[in-house]
Amino acid sequence: MALEPIPSAPILSTREDAQAPKKKKIKTTKVVNGVDTEVEIEVDDVPTVAWPERSKLRVLNHDIPRVDGPDKVSGAARYTHDVRLPGMVYAQILVSPLPRAKVVKLDVEAARKVKGVVHVLVIQGESTGWLGDPVAAVAAETLEAAQDGLRALAPKFEALPWSVDHETATKSGAPAVTKNGNLGKPETDGDETKARAALQASPTRVKATYQVPIQHHACLETHGVVVDYRGGTEATVYCSTQYTHGFAAEAAEVLGLPASSVTGINEHMGGGFGSKFGMDKQGQVACQIAKELKRPVHLMLGRREEFLMSGNRSGGIQTIEAGCEADGKFTGFLVQAFKHGGLGRGSLAALPYCYSAAEHYRSVQSVRMHLDANRAMRAPGSPQASFPMESIVDELAYAAGIDLVAIRKRNLPRDASWQRQLDRAAREIGWADHPHKTKPGPALGTECIGIGFGVSAWGGGGADECEVEVRIERDGSVVTACGSQDLGTGTRTYMAAITAEEFGLPVAAVAARLGNSRLGNSVASGGSVTTASLAPAVKDAAAKARVAFATHLAAVLGLPGDGFRFEPEGILHDGAKAPTAMSWKKACGTLPAEGLRANGRWVESLASRGVNCTQAARVAVDPGTGRVLVLHMVCVQEVGLPLNRLALRSQIQGGMIQALGYAISEGRVIDPVLGIQLNPNFEDYKVPHALEIPRMTAIIDDEDTRQGVIGVGEPPVIPGAGAIANAVHNACGARVRELPITPDKVLQALGKVV
Amino acid sequence: MADGPDRNPGGEEAADLSRRRFLRGAGGVAAGGVIGPALIGASGCAAQPATQPAPAVPKGPEELAGEIEIELAINGRPSKLTVEPRTTLLDALRTRLEPALTGTKSVCDRGNCGACTVLVDGEPRYSCLQLASDLRGSAITTIEGLGTPAQLSVLQQEFVAHDGSMCGFCTPGFVVAITACLKRDPKASEADIRGACAGNLCRCGTQPQIFEAALAAGRRIAEGK
Repeated sequence: MALEPIPSAPILSTREDAQAPKKKKIKTTKVVNGVDTEVEIEVDDVPTVAWPERSKLRVLNHDIPRVDGPDKVSGAARYTHDVRLPGMVYAQILVSPLPRAKVVKLDVEAARKVKGVVHVLVIQGESTGWLGDPVAAVAAETLEAAQDGLRALAPKFEALPWSVDHETATKSGAPAVTKNGNLGKPETDGDETKARAALQASPTRVKATYQVPIQHHACLETHGVVVDYRGGTEATVYCSTQYTHGFAAEAAEVLGLPASSVTGINEHMGGGFGSKFGMDKQGQVACQIAKELKRPVHLMLGRREEFLMSGNRSGGIQTIEAGCEADGKFTGFLVQAFKHGGLGRGSLAALPYCYSAAEHYRSVQSVRMHLDANRAMRAPGSPQASFPMESIVDELAYAAGIDLVAIRKRNLPRDASWQRQLDRAAREIGWADHPHKTKPGPALGTECIGIGFGVSAWGGGGADECEVEVRIERDGSVVTACGSQDLGTGTRTYMAAITAEEFGLPVAAVAARLGNSRLGNSVASGGSVTTASLAPAVKDAAAKARVAFATHLAAVLGLPGDGFRFEPEGILHDGAKAPTAMSWKKACGTLPAEGLRANGRWVESLASRGVNCTQAARVAVDPGTGRVLVLHMVCVQEVGLPLNRLALRSQIQGGMIQALGYAISEGRVIDPVLGIQLNPNFEDYKVPHALEIPRMTAIIDDEDTRQGVIGVGEPPVIPGAGAIANAVHNACGARVRELPITPDKVLQALGKVV
Repeated sequence: MADGPDRNPGGEEAADLSRRRFLRGAGGVAAGGVIGPALIGASGCAAQPATQPAPAVPKGPEELAGEIEIELAINGRPSKLTVEPRTTLLDALRTRLEPALTGTKSVCDRGNCGACTVLVDGEPRYSCLQLASDLRGSAITTIEGLGTPAQLSVLQQEFVAHDGSMCGFCTPGFVVAITACLKRDPKASEADIRGACAGNLCRCGTQPQIFEAALAAGRRIAEGK
């Protein structure tokens, strides 16, 4: 068979090969409950495996349909919610309907008597401390009977004073969440005197107060677990989680079993977005009931309970004063911010966000309330900072009469990728032909068109936390395994694709296994760290398997080990005298009975970190009704080395759509007098629907040529709300400073209603 | 729902609406919002008669109580299952059927999200708003009846090709809703497609890919490929 000349084989030196490797310090990402934190660690300083040049990639950096797509589109994919086991009981939870209450009555006996009810568990029999605080659980033979049981409890609550809104919570003598009151100690940064002086000296100054609501993760699969414990020494927990290993370990603790005896299974999960790390109260309750009954327990939260008790993106109020020179250069920046994270501290990225001012000062305080604690939510703290930031940038630009793109470029680092991204986004959204560049359009007619911009940044780096195994069997089958989880980001697909690339195989020839705590350890999937942590470990395992396979074949065929090429045509070698070729299957047939295994760990040089993203939005506003229709959203985003362009675009578009919801319709509404949430369901809590999806342009910024993998899920969710708010103002002069931008607020901003 | 002439409890009859008629005639509305504690208490807590077979939906009024055995035509096969009068089609498929059909998802349980969409006599319906016992005699098609991982329908193939699912929890509902739309008109426009799945919710934000997938499938179906 005719062969092309063999290029010199890449050097594949692995850690095991290196002699007493030197150490070096690198910066990496450590995620604590979904929050991306930079830390310095020491790693071996050895030459190591590298990704092939982009032009030579056959599988990666292309559109790869997800390998579990056929299961997902046919209903075959099994989620935790779908697990059915013999003897399984259904459990449901009763939660506190008020932010603080005394539990006056709970008719446990009546609930026990309900036909089908097998267990009643009182979680909190005396008083409750927040809206949604779990009170009791009922397990029954059927879902309906469990609900009957909850009703039979006929609970009676006596209201205790509460704080569920900013005004009440910050009054002196307000019902307090902690013994130190509701208002946290201010966290400050910068020099206030200098910032005030810089503002005083600025020719242009603006001051405004912005407000963001509490946003819900709104995962379609609610939080929950199926605990398979039937007595004995082993248990399996099916868990909808972003951290399969951690969940299994927590379950072991509640079940009173050694961690080694509890398996966590998470084949597919219906959304997490930062809200599903720990097992939470409902997970503990399910384990307790299973332990008691020695029967499998299915406990998935109902939709209302999901809204009340499964965390959220914190809200907040920020007052900003900012100034700029005549050329648009920011001078001073003063922020006073309050975070609304319920029982939690809330989350807010540093302001000024992405942009810098000559002098800045900020003071940030938590305001505690009797509501569930905020959790990490896709880019924790960042959309809350981006919306006021981008808004005030525009407010300054209009005040100074400067082009909206120009003022951004002026205040972002000259060498930052945002510069080219702004040009590209401006081109895609049609900025050059847009009439309102330095002042908003008039509120006339029924369709005022406006454009707005926003930028964001995220780390998305990896860490050495994943253990991957690549196995090649004698029959030619290949498995790549790690106990990680696929949140819908496409983890399973790149695990298969990276291995396929290494061996010249089609993606379908590699099985990817994940979502099982018995498999290799994996990082918790939060803060966009999974891909940059896991993909390098997969590559490392695959490369080691390739070297081992080549070494094996060299011995079998009597050829030098470094001349093998794994191509779609087969395994090729120029040979000592004549070229040889062997089919994959035939080559695998020469392996010993146990096949071939290789383990991989994180390789720093295969990952990178630091992603910039720029978005633009075009909207139509009807100044008569206040209705906002987002027509077009553009996103230009760096991604490092793209693994799967199809899944990347989906991630980017998905982020933009979540930002769209944050901008125009989403927000928890609490009635402070009644102490209830008015919209704990998908009818009243409105996420974007098909009719509101604008034209979407998701652009992978290929001018970012770094040969390292980066997580990309967070950046696209950040700048959209600011861009849309700015576009609404640009269209007709309606500056809405409180999200979501509902028609009433647009009309109010136009002075049409008071 | 496919209301026949014998399925109309409204108008002047509404005044004497009884529980049995309520079940028989207004199932969709009942499960969604009207079903009250009184009814649930009655059927769930009171002494129950033993499981008894219930015939196909009769023409006249009918009283159902306790656990009843019914037969439903699901994905072209008759299936016997035991339900309560209040059991929704969604819960019947997911928790009462053996083996369970869990491709139909339970997300909001009140007709807000479309994840539980199935076809009833070819029409897309929220299965959380249908009472199982009301559907005796109807042809029910779930996501599992449209294709299998090894043998996907044209639309399902295009969903995979265009990345129409991310977490995938909403996907079956979208596939079912759009299947019905393309069956009505393979040349459905993007506006038609958006209308067809306006009642389906996706949190990951896969809608743009879904529209592309639907248009591509429509083209293939129209061309007979």
